[in-house]
Amino acid sequence: MILTTPDYPPATGGIQRLMWGLVTHATGWTTRVVTLDHPDAAGAPAPVSTRRVRSSEASRHTAIARLNLATICEGLSWRPDAVVSGHLVTSPGAVLLGELLRIPSLQYVYAKELIHRPRLGRFATTRSNATVVLSEHAAEIARMAGADATRLHVIAPGVDFAERKRAGDGVPTILTVARLTDRYKGFDVMLRAMALVRARIPAVRWVVIGDGPLRGELERTAQTWGLDASVLFCGHVSDEELDGWFARSHVFAMPSRLPARGGGEGYGLVYLEAAARGLPCVAGNVGAVAEAVIDGETGLLVDASDHVQTAGALVELLADVDRAAELGAAGRERARTLTWDRMAIALQALVVDLVASRG
Amino acid sequence: MQLSRCHPCFHSPTLCGICGSTADRQGAAVAAMNAMLVHRGPDDEGSYIDPSGVALGARRLSIIDVDGGHQPIANEDGTVWAVLNGEIYNHPRLRTDLLARGHALRSRTDTEVLVHLYEDYGDALVHALEGMYCFCIWDARRERLLLARDRFGEKPLFYRAWGKRLTFASELTALQSGLDQADAVDPVSLMALLALGYVPGARSMLRDVSQLPPASVLTWSLEDPLARVSRYWQLPDLRPSAHGSLAELADELDGHFANAVDSRLVADVPVGVLLSGGLDSALVAAYAAQLSNDRIKTFTVGYDQGDVDERDAARRVATILDTEHRELILTSAAVADRVPMLLRQLDQPVADPALVALHAVCDLAREHVTVAVGGEGADELFAGYPRYRWLALSSRIARVAPAPLLALGAGALRSATLDGRLGRLAEVVSPGDVVERYVHWATDGLAGTSCDIWGAALRQQGSPFDPVADARHVIARSGVSGIVRAFMTLDLERGLPGDVLAKADRSSMLCSLEMRTPFLDRSLAEFAASVPIAAHAGPRNKHLLRTLFERTLPQLGEAKRKTAFRVPLAEWLRGPLRPALEAQVARGPAFSEEWLDRRAVRVLVDQHLRGRADHSRVLWSVLTFGSWLDAQRGTSSL
Repeated sequence: MILTTPDYPPATGGIQRLMWGLVTHATGWTTRVVTLDHPDAAGAPAPVSTRRVRSSEASRHTAIARLNLATICEGLSWRPDAVVSGHLVTSPGAVLLGELLRIPSLQYVYAKELIHRPRLGRFATTRSNATVVLSEHAAEIARMAGADATRLHVIAPGVDFAERKRAGDGVPTILTVARLTDRYKGFDVMLRAMALVRARIPAVRWVVIGDGPLRGELERTAQTWGLDASVLFCGHVSDEELDGWFARSHVFAMPSRLPARGGGEGYGLVYLEAAARGLPCVAGNVGAVAEAVIDGETGLLVDASDHVQTAGALVELLADVDRAAELGAAGRERARTLTWDRMAIALQALVVDLVASRG
Repeated sequence: MQLSRCHPCFHSPTLCGICGSTADRQGAAVAAMNAMLVHRGPDDEGSYIDPSGVALGARRLSIIDVDGGHQPIANEDGTVWAVLNGEIYNHPRLRTDLLARGHALRSRTDTEVLVHLYEDYGDALVHALEGMYCFCIWDARRERLLLARDRFGEKPLFYRAWGKRLTFASELTALQSGLDQADAVDPVSLMALLALGYVPGARSMLRDVSQLPPASVLTWSLEDPLARVSRYWQLPDLRPSAHGSLAELADELDGHFANAVDSRLVADVPVGVLLSGGLDSALVAAYAAQLSNDRIKTFTVGYDQGDVDERDAARRVATILDTEHRELILTSAAVADRVPMLLRQLDQPVADPALVALHAVCDLAREHVTVAVGGEGADELFAGYPRYRWLALSSRIARVAPAPLLALGAGALRSATLDGRLGRLAEVVSPGDVVERYVHWATDGLAGTSCDIWGAALRQQGSPFDPVADARHVIARSGVSGIVRAFMTLDLERGLPGDVLAKADRSSMLCSLEMRTPFLDRSLAEFAASVPIAAHAGPRNKHLLRTLFERTLPQLGEAKRKTAFRVPLAEWLRGPLRPALEAQVARGPAFSEEWLDRRAVRVLVDQHLRGRADHSRVLWSVLTFGSWLDAQRGTSSL
């Protein structure tokens, strides 16, 4: 199988982790990855053959065009049984390769890219042999974007189930892990909520892991509102440091909302990763997030436009240690069932079906 | 939108308000202050006198829970008391949250929500509120008062902190009745009124009386009896570098604006829209029409003089939206009849002539609705004033062209006596300081010339008001970067609360009408601040808002720039208001007390009446202040 994707480790993000989970757990077949170059690629682990397309000096459009061309070249020389496209932008190469070699092509779609690239979305979801989505919410968005409903398959990703560590430093800590790119992830609502949370729990700390273009705005807002002592923007951190923050935190919070044009979280892998580490979640009650967090069981769902309700949920979980532990334990048990092996088996079964149906 | 219950109509003026004193064991001061509010037409009144001597009072225009909203209101054990003037728009959600957290609420009012939020969050309750408000909370356990004012300054709150005593009221004149003696005019505030047309910041027209600034809280306690004022919110200077496309921004704006309008349509009484014929109020009306289950009511005003009548534009909007539209023609006779009385009733004077039109349209609206929504605040948040872009352009020109050349060009343009856009070119190419030019532009030059009419009492003032220094101070304190953002911040901090919102509050409350302003919604304002300035003021002023307007009301085409509720002031001062103006100059206490120079003002009046010059702005300030002082002194110059 060829996996073509612009998002792949060592770049960070939810799609990157999904692609990594796919290549490392789908061991029933041989996989080759075609992806973009990355400054840290030389030292990164490569469990499967990986072809990297030069992208550093090119525009994004040129790099994506090269990536699609490289996918076709790699496929024509290696002749795989199937091609999987990890993002809409790699769909042209994947579909063309599938047509040329008469092999099935599978297309991953998430949520917001279907809103922003409707024509490409329609092309990818109607010309590939199967469209894979991560949640019912994403399936609904794909259907609304024109996807062929009979070719839609919901296959939730796995989650890394780590050892539960606690290393508290005594500071009530709320954790968010996200790229600071999309406003819909609710950083603004969290800042507004923090002014209220701090009134109830003066020592509270909100730790934000991740970087992106919104970081400057968020830091300036925290400073203007006198919250800079209670909010810590850590930027991108190492895996060890991230583990440390998971261990020191008491609540995971990211009140994602639906953006004006729809879309939003396609799955919300990060909530499950927090749950796998025993953290209760505070999340928005819309879209795929409401599938990732079970309200009252693994976390608390709030109206993500309402900072007062968000603050109330955060205070509730920080102040009631037993309640937080109960939700955290339930979340961890749920995450235990969402393994990468389960996802890989489901995807492999789909590919086998598609190959068989092609005769 | 709930329109099922109709409020009984009050034809005498009503003014909602709160008051209180920290040294009023007998309740005499609060009773006197409440009485000042009573004569304006009460719906309900109440007071609470604590054994410590702290007393609170309130008068109410009932909008929500008409029957159950008596104030002051207390918590379950009577240890926290609150009085509120205004509306907390998110109070239904707050109420649901409070009930879920185990609080017992007895009414549907927003005032009771304050009491319980205070129990949970203390002074930080202000961070939970969305609305227009000033309120006071007395915490009997801590023997401590908390006063707060909304984020943009929609509702006024005046106070005097004298020694260990604090007295406050949402009206200046009501406050006076609760004080032993407070009738001395503040000369610096008068200079500001003459220069800007309003009293800016924390000042009031009376000496030793202050206004609580917008987005601020004041605390006072028996243990520490000093009034301590602190700011709890301000719009962050986000300096956004990247955002979505204009279409995506308009989508986001659409969502925020719909929420803002929707929350302001909630009332137990009928709601209408004030249409000025411009873009902002048309947008409000369009969204209100979409969100309301009923056919909305719209109101506008026109004149029998001058060329500033906007009824045609308002009528086009009303026709497209199929509203129940009503118009009022403010005739010369009506102006002569109502304006002198209106100016006497101004609590703190606002010398903005649009107040007359706004008051007239509020009066018309009040015959049919109890709450009206309007377009105030859009210019300040969405870069609506053309001067922002012109002066940004000027700054770019100054970077490449030598100053002597620019001075030469400006001089040539001025001598050509060009009007309108071409006339502005003189300002644009002028090489002077940009803040100074901005202040002169925004005040039509009054900032530089109003001192010509100062009387002896002002001229002998040691430290006169300097509008340019004040503007510089506001900009420097905010720390914002970029010319357009700096001037938008200046207008948000000064002109919006001091002029635009004071005008809206006075004109609506004098008619017993509650005025709501969807543009001044916290989420909407913070969204506007997150939009790159190029999207606000790039190709044209108010670019993003115009994009939404053109998408919402495509039938109207591109909206023309206009000022809300303009009036034919020059003609009025030569016609129906001439007797009032001449009477002021002849007999007004503003001259006999030597605040203004009679000879200098007479020259201006003479030039204006003969049509040799247009001194409307300065003469309107004279008439406004003179009428206010007449009311203060209990005299009548007319």
